[in-house]
Amino acid sequence: MSDITELPFSFLRVPQMRLRTPNIPRPSPMVVFWLVFLSYFLVLSGIIYDMIVEPPSIGSTTDSNGNVRPVVFLQYRVNGQFIIEGLSAGAMFAMGGMGFIILDKSNSKSLSIKNRYFLIMSGVLCILIAYNLCLVFLRMKIPGYMVTSS
Amino acid sequence: GTLTWFNSLLGFHRVKMKTPTKELNQVKVPAKILVADVKDVLESGVSTEKQEYLLKLLILSLIYLLAFSTRLFSVLRYESVIHEFDPYFNYRSTKYLVNEGIYNFLNWFDQSAWYPLGRIVGGTIYPGLMATAAAVYWVLHAVNITVDIRNVCVLLAPWFASNTAMVTYLFAKEIKDESAGLIAAAFIAIVPGYISRSVAGSYDNEGIAIFALILTYYLWVKAVKTGSLFWSAACSLAYFYMVSAWGGYVFIINLIPLYVLVMLLTGRYSSRLYTAYCTLYVLGTLLAMQITFVGFQPVQSSEHMAAFGTFGILQLFGAFNWVRSHMTPENFSRFFKTTLLAILAIAFAGFAIGVATGYISPWTGRFYSLFDPTWAKENIPIIASVSEHQPTTWASFFFDLHILTFLFPAGMYFCFSKLTDANIFLIIYGITAVYFAGVMVRLMLVLAPVACVLGAYAVSCTLQTYAKHLKKPNPVVVSASTSKRAVTVAQALPVQRELGAIMLSGIGIMLVLYAFHCTWVTSEAYSSPSIVLAARQHDGSRLIFDDFREAYRWLGQNTPDDARIMSWWDYGYQISAMGNRTVLVDNNTWNNSHIAQVGKAMASPEDKAYEIMRALDVDYVLVIFGGLTGYASDDINKFLWMVRIAGSTDPNIIESNYYTPRGEFRIDKEGAPAMLNCLMYKLCYYRFSEVYTEQGRAPGYDRVRNAEIGNKGFKLEYLEEAFTSQHWLVRVYKVKTPDNRGGIVNL
Repeated sequence: MSDITELPFSFLRVPQMRLRTPNIPRPSPMVVFWLVFLSYFLVLSGIIYDMIVEPPSIGSTTDSNGNVRPVVFLQYRVNGQFIIEGLSAGAMFAMGGMGFIILDKSNSKSLSIKNRYFLIMSGVLCILIAYNLCLVFLRMKIPGYMVTSS
Repeated sequence: GTLTWFNSLLGFHRVKMKTPTKELNQVKVPAKILVADVKDVLESGVSTEKQEYLLKLLILSLIYLLAFSTRLFSVLRYESVIHEFDPYFNYRSTKYLVNEGIYNFLNWFDQSAWYPLGRIVGGTIYPGLMATAAAVYWVLHAVNITVDIRNVCVLLAPWFASNTAMVTYLFAKEIKDESAGLIAAAFIAIVPGYISRSVAGSYDNEGIAIFALILTYYLWVKAVKTGSLFWSAACSLAYFYMVSAWGGYVFIINLIPLYVLVMLLTGRYSSRLYTAYCTLYVLGTLLAMQITFVGFQPVQSSEHMAAFGTFGILQLFGAFNWVRSHMTPENFSRFFKTTLLAILAIAFAGFAIGVATGYISPWTGRFYSLFDPTWAKENIPIIASVSEHQPTTWASFFFDLHILTFLFPAGMYFCFSKLTDANIFLIIYGITAVYFAGVMVRLMLVLAPVACVLGAYAVSCTLQTYAKHLKKPNPVVVSASTSKRAVTVAQALPVQRELGAIMLSGIGIMLVLYAFHCTWVTSEAYSSPSIVLAARQHDGSRLIFDDFREAYRWLGQNTPDDARIMSWWDYGYQISAMGNRTVLVDNNTWNNSHIAQVGKAMASPEDKAYEIMRALDVDYVLVIFGGLTGYASDDINKFLWMVRIAGSTDPNIIESNYYTPRGEFRIDKEGAPAMLNCLMYKLCYYRFSEVYTEQGRAPGYDRVRNAEIGNKGFKLEYLEEAFTSQHWLVRVYKVKTPDNRGGIVNL
């Protein structure tokens, strides 16, 4: 019976293949963490705002002589940005986070004293630079930041 | 100390009871122990446990007071008044509940909104907020503290913010330890992202919803850690409170199944997880369906299908685990493959039938736009037009979170380096919250609590490391050649204590700067009542614009009781609550085509608009005009949204007609004729050409659009001016009624 049903297909030659379901290994927690860190950087740069509102990547003004000068920060509005502005601010946030991570890594076991000093210094420097640059950016956007008007 | 003293006390008692005859000898020894222990306690003063406890209590009480008082800026500057638009509807509903009772409130049909359709209020609101305020009101009145309902409503959100800080302390304590809990509570007490929706006067659902959210998550983490039925049932009750409070409960019922799935994927299945989720799903769904507005959605709508699917997957997982423990491996693999395929096929078929017949409704627009942010812009202009629904920029993130933007990834790092069941929940909550906050500014509110907890995690870990440095003495420097043994801890630095001190003070300064920023932002940006405007004059004194309340009071006192007011939907709730008049459309925006009718009337020339207004029985028209004062959120700036919404139902209204040939939106001489003759233009700029607004400019200079208006000196044919507020912010016009022969009569 099975010979008859197999007859129409007798001209086919079955290839010698060994298919297995691919074995995707589970990623280690730190790999997942760095992926999350990358997506955090992107989201906090306002990439979703960029995709929907489609602002220019950098603004421009014409000054009194007629020259076109670039403007990096969209002024007077917290709820608007240019693309480059968002990415640079996101880089600052990421750098600040990296500072704390470096500070923690400086306490790991297999480090010489020189390396420990180096890591601590760079961690503190990352945090200081990131925080102060963020304040500079914000003051460029909103000139009245931290100026009490009442 | 205390415990051994108590035990010894018991021992003394026991000894005494056992041998009454040898009393003298036996009594002496326990008495000595007793005296010795008492002296011990008295000498050491208050034990460290008690000290810690008192310090914790003091810190928590200070945080409680801080969270309440930082939200009182607008009450102190202006008065105790309800802010914005939505809170006015909540206030009106609460008054109705308090005056009419619970059953009348649940069955309330409001005839004075959405004329002529009406609105079934009882079935279309989340009653948690009104119920909470009414409960507070009744409790206070029961003890004869007669607070007016308006003050209860105004101060409810700050009080709940204090409670949120306490629950956040418990949540962070559950995930890490008490020190992280205290820092998290301090962070959330003043974080601007949460303050913006919970200032005094902002009587809105989010004020109590965040409290319910953190409470649910705290009880969930506790349920997963203990596996007890009690905590899971408590979690379902907290979930019920959340469902009654805010539509954002969909976040909970999707986050917790996602967490369960991730736990299954990372191989952390346990019976505790099974107990917690099954209890929560069953009890939570049953309780959620008690809210009329939610109804049968938990078993019908796509937003709840993830929870249902995870429930099924969890049952399958548990069943297969049990079967595997009773079978040989080869039998099990055969059984597993066939049964799994069969069950999945049946489930998929059931789901497909449900979707095809429409029983399982698709994702509603509001939530679908979270996954495809571009969808709302093209399809539903109303959702896209709300400024809160715009995506978030970096400055909004930094403004609302300050140093938490740096501490968030650091906290994630610490969580990832030591994964536990509770940590994984925090990680998933953090990732989803960041994504949703990036899509919609309003959802920054959901990100604020998890940013506070993760930030507290990071700060607590860092502080613990460097505080340990402070306690160890500085080691003597040992040359590297002599220390041959394996290094088990990090090599100690010679300046360890100084380093610890520097780091602690550095973190302390950072937290102080955070407090400064939060207070400044609260004071300047988030404490405006928006029903009362203030501006600074040249000499520094403050000028108050109370035009809105003036106009609504005029409406309430100078129009017939059954007068119908047509205005843009933004002001519907305020007109209903303060003017007490029937409105055509309000902020509920449930009927897009009714709003489109109003938009069409505003965008048409006066005669066409008159036909629409007569068809809708309109008596008065109200517009907001900012050209005299420079108020930028007026109706002319919102006009293009009116055109877009009108155009979404009536193809004759084309948006490009209202732009100049060059594509600009202008109201001066170069403006499009359709713009310069539409009803909105005429109602806003009627008699405006007689007014000088700025020095050195022609009369009729619009201070918001910075242009002189193009169409001047026109007369209104079908309407007449009824009221203009003091600074021309609110303008009310009466619609003329026709006489017996069809002409227009001035009545």
